[in-house]
Amino acid sequence: MTNKEKYAQVFVETFEVEPNVLDENFVYQCIPAWDSLGHMSMVAALEDTFDIVMDTEDIIDFSSYTVGMEKLKKYGVEF
Amino acid sequence: MESFSLDCQQLQEYQPNRYPFLMIDHVEDVLPGKYARGFKNLTLNEWYFPVHFPGGPNMPGALQLEAMAQMLTVAITTLPDLKGKVTHALEHHVRFRQEVKPGNRLDIDAQVISWRRGICKGKAVGTVQGITVCEAEMTITIPEILETFLPKKA
Repeated sequence: MTNKEKYAQVFVETFEVEPNVLDENFVYQCIPAWDSLGHMSMVAALEDTFDIVMDTEDIIDFSSYTVGMEKLKKYGVEF
Repeated sequence: MESFSLDCQQLQEYQPNRYPFLMIDHVEDVLPGKYARGFKNLTLNEWYFPVHFPGGPNMPGALQLEAMAQMLTVAITTLPDLKGKVTHALEHHVRFRQEVKPGNRLDIDAQVISWRRGICKGKAVGTVQGITVCEAEMTITIPEILETFLPKKA
């Protein structure tokens, strides 16, 4: 499984969405599941998946599916 | 960090709920960030017994859950710099097994599973005379902390 597939899988499992909705329009609070608890659950799942610990500023800036990929590059996760 | 106890006055420093919604009386043993164990003594004078139910008083399940959540809260708000912080419920899964009646002592053992970035996941078991009457898996938050980790709304 590629990193992009692993990344998408976290979104699919955390927010219970289909992979085809994951694009630049999939943003924080765009669906009820991506609320405050959903956000922190997603961050925790990404940290477990890629064995990283995200900085507070990156968690705050993680505002969309696509922005998230940019943030993870800082931690050596290449897509 | 060592464990300690909190009497009915002391625990109010760590638990912002007040009458008629303070659902725990005493914390016998709390290890901050790990667990809190204590109890609620139920007398016939509890405000809800006359209405829940006339002729068959028993503690509402929602309040049993609240008691477990309040005990879990104490396990977190006894951590450094969190005294008296307001907590909110995020998600609870609860199972009720037996009625809790006037004269019972509801013992609660609340365990912290994780505490990170303002979110606590935990579980609690309520017992009366050693028999499990309720149990719950709970997610609570200190909004003041959680909000510092959230993106601005799109």
